[in-house]
Parts: sequence; structure tokens; C-alpha cells
Amino acid sequence: MSEQPELLDESVMAMVAARDLPDGAIVNLGLGLPLALSDYIPPDREVLFHSEQGIVGFGARVFDPAEVDPLLMNAGGEPVASAPGMSYMSHDESFAMIRGGHIDVTVLGALQVDARGNLANAQIPGKPAPGLGGGQDLATCAKQVLVVMRHLAPNGDPKIVERCDMVLTALGCVDRVVTDVGLFEIADGRVTLLEYAPGWTVEQIQAITGVELAVAEDVREIVLG
Amino acid sequence: MINKVVGSFDEALADVRSGAMIHFGGFANPHNTPNYLIAALARRGADRLTGVSTYAGHGEEVQRVLFERRNLEALHDGWDLGLMAELGRLGKLITSFPNGNSRELLYPFEHVLRRGEAEVEVLGQGSIAERIRCARAGIPAFYTPVGVGTFVAAGKEVREFDGVPHILETALRADFALIRAHRADRFGNLVYRGPRTFNQTMAGAAGVTVAEVDEVVPLGDLGPDEIHTPGVYVQRVVVRPSTPHDDWRTPA
Repeated sequence: MSEQPELLDESVMAMVAARDLPDGAIVNLGLGLPLALSDYIPPDREVLFHSEQGIVGFGARVFDPAEVDPLLMNAGGEPVASAPGMSYMSHDESFAMIRGGHIDVTVLGALQVDARGNLANAQIPGKPAPGLGGGQDLATCAKQVLVVMRHLAPNGDPKIVERCDMVLTALGCVDRVVTDVGLFEIADGRVTLLEYAPGWTVEQIQAITGVELAVAEDVREIVLG
Repeated sequence: MINKVVGSFDEALADVRSGAMIHFGGFANPHNTPNYLIAALARRGADRLTGVSTYAGHGEEVQRVLFERRNLEALHDGWDLGLMAELGRLGKLITSFPNGNSRELLYPFEHVLRRGEAEVEVLGQGSIAERIRCARAGIPAFYTPVGVGTFVAAGKEVREFDGVPHILETALRADFALIRAHRADRFGNLVYRGPRTFNQTMAGAAGVTVAEVDEVVPLGDLGPDEIHTPGVYVQRVVVRPSTPHDDWRTPA
């Protein structure tokens, strides 16, 4: 695979995912790659980030220790900024908000996603038990489920597959997937390539995908901004 | 006269027995965790406890690494549920995160599970939160669409509402709820600082709710518009020491 084009790095994947968040959306960011999205909201848009422990409306991640409010973290425990209009609540209220269908987009990491939109992200290989966090509530109840993940697992296996064989988190929920080679849509039992990373061909992407891809009529190279 | 303020953490937990079920408040951050109540529970020595917590606790070592990664100063009194796991006091844990999310950082409870020394019930965070809220509100069970068709649905009643399958989850009432808040008055009224996490959710969902606070203020200083948790839900209040301790064994 020495001729394989370059993979998108994590910040570009986050920018691709952030690019499509609509103005005014209420968005929850899951652990791992999705947490970076709060850093890349285009300045012409207001997006309200929700976090499980009871926050709506936090800002970008904070990297200067002098600026850190130790109580204000994202779901992954990374310090984030407060922002005007932010509010706090309890865990039960936070999940009433999720279960009640008030979250527009949830951005989740994944171990496997399949053509039916099933999501597996609970059983990390080598861990003694599955972990769900808030992901099961979010995947089941958010209006749109966006997955951001590497295209291949660390062992080289495709993560977009015909049928998940790992522990399932939620059924038929995934709408879109951003990986380090492209942007995909999942609907009606099909995975459709919408955009590809610079330098990649449809054939190269198909070769590392575990399900036969449909290709959008207007498939194009990913463009940011 | 009503006075829920207790003189010490040890006194506040003197009646916790082995085998008790305990709600542990907070959310994966020592700054919203009832650190001194957990230390007192460790000193109390009760074991075979059933814990309910959003995560299984970092323990001292993982917490130190996480703080270092973020260039934050480590706490010396940041005790969390990981301490109870390290001491082998948990017989069962009901949680959404039994493991650390990273492949290289292992929660103390992961070692406990590998040795087969405790049971675990893994459930989504929202279902845990609502089971606890129901206990506070006197509702025995509720239906949720979350978890249908997955391992969490095993053995649970399924019922359709508007054509959508839901599973039945039951209320989760504990013997003790250990929570953290910012300020309290002698009635047990509480004000939190920052996201209110499971602290506010668990208040009132146990026979005895104990709140660890930074400060107790005179009655009336917390106005009716600002109180987050009415004292009705709180039985005991204990104030954190003004000088942090650095050993959980030190009486507080």
C-alpha cells in the first residue's frame, strides 16, 4: 500500500464534521475524535454544545492552564471555555433533554458501523466489560447521528461493514460517517460515498471498506470552508 | 430545631454497613466528586458494597496521569470510586463506564473485574440517571426506547408505544447517596457550582443523602430563587476541611 494517498488528520476530520452543523443546532460531542469539533465552528454560526453532566452552550477547548475552570470540562474531561448563554443542569435533566428528542446532532466515535446504520462502540478490544457512557441514549434519541472515526481499526480491519459483529450500542441510527478517507451517508441499507479525501479514488476507498459502496452522483473531493 | 450539619465525615457515615447500596455523585472529575465522603467510607471499612456511579473511578494513578496530560496541578485529596475498587470494597457496580476509555490507562475497577472479584451491570448513563430520578420521585419503573435490541435489554419487559419498542427499567433507590455541592444551610438546602451531574440527580434517591460542601452559610443566605436542591432531599451535611488532606486515612 505504499502508493496509498495521505489520510486526513484528526483536526481536518473534525473540521469536515463541524462544517455541516447547521446554525442554531444543539449538538452533543462524544468521546475521542468528536471532542475536537467545538474548536472548529465557523464564525458565522451559533452552535450550542451539550454535555452529559449537565451543560448546554460551552465554548472551545482550553489549553492554557491559567484559563481553566476545573469544573467546566467536556464529556472527555478536557477543559472547555464558558460562553454567554451557557446553562447548567442535573444529569437526569440532561438526559431528559436527550431522550426527549431535543438534541439535533450527536457526534460519536465508533468501532464499527454497518449498512443498516447499526452502531457498535461499546466493547473496546481488550477491556473486561462493555462501556456505554451516554452514547446509547444519544444514538437512539438524537435527531441525527454523525460518526467520526478512522476508516480502519488498529489491526487493519474495515470499520464500515455489511453487518456489525461487535457488541451493538444502538440499531439503525447512524446517518453520516466522516473517516480519514471520506464522508459517507447511510440510508435505506446502503452506504453512499459523498466526498473523498484529496488524492483518493473511489476504487481505493472501496478496497478498504467492508461493504459495497454506492457513489453519489455529485461525488467530489472534500473542500473545507 | 432543624440542623443537618454533622461535625465530621466519619460521623456522617458511621451507620453504613457492609452490603449497603450507595449512590456516588459526580462525573469523572475530582472537583465535582464527594472526595472526603469516599475517604470516610474507605475508613469505615464496610465491604461487599453495591455502588451506583456513572463511571468506575480513576483512582490516584490514572487521575495523576490525566491531570498531567492537561498541564493541570494534581489534587492530593481527589479521592474517587477508584479508591473503593483498589481496596476491594465493591461487590457490585452499576455503571455506564466500567473501563477507562483509553487502551493504555486502566481504571482500578478493571483489575477487579479481571480477577473476577465483583459483578458489573452496564447500563446507558441516561437510563441510570432516570432510574435514580424515579427513586427520588416515587416512580417504580419507566419505559425507555434506549437499549432495545442490545445487551442491556436482556431479560427486560418490552412494550410498544406508538409502534416503537421500549424496555422497562426499574427505580434505583440506595441506602446512602454521597454527593458534592458548593454551599448549604442547616436545613440541607443546596447550591451547586458548575454542571450539577449526578450530584443533584442522586439527592433524595436514598434512605440517607449526605452532602459534602465547601461552606455552610446562615439560614436565609441562600434565597428561594437560588436553591437547586431543597433540603427535604438531604439528611446530612458535612463541610470540607479548609486545609486539604493528603492521605485518605486521616480522620476528617
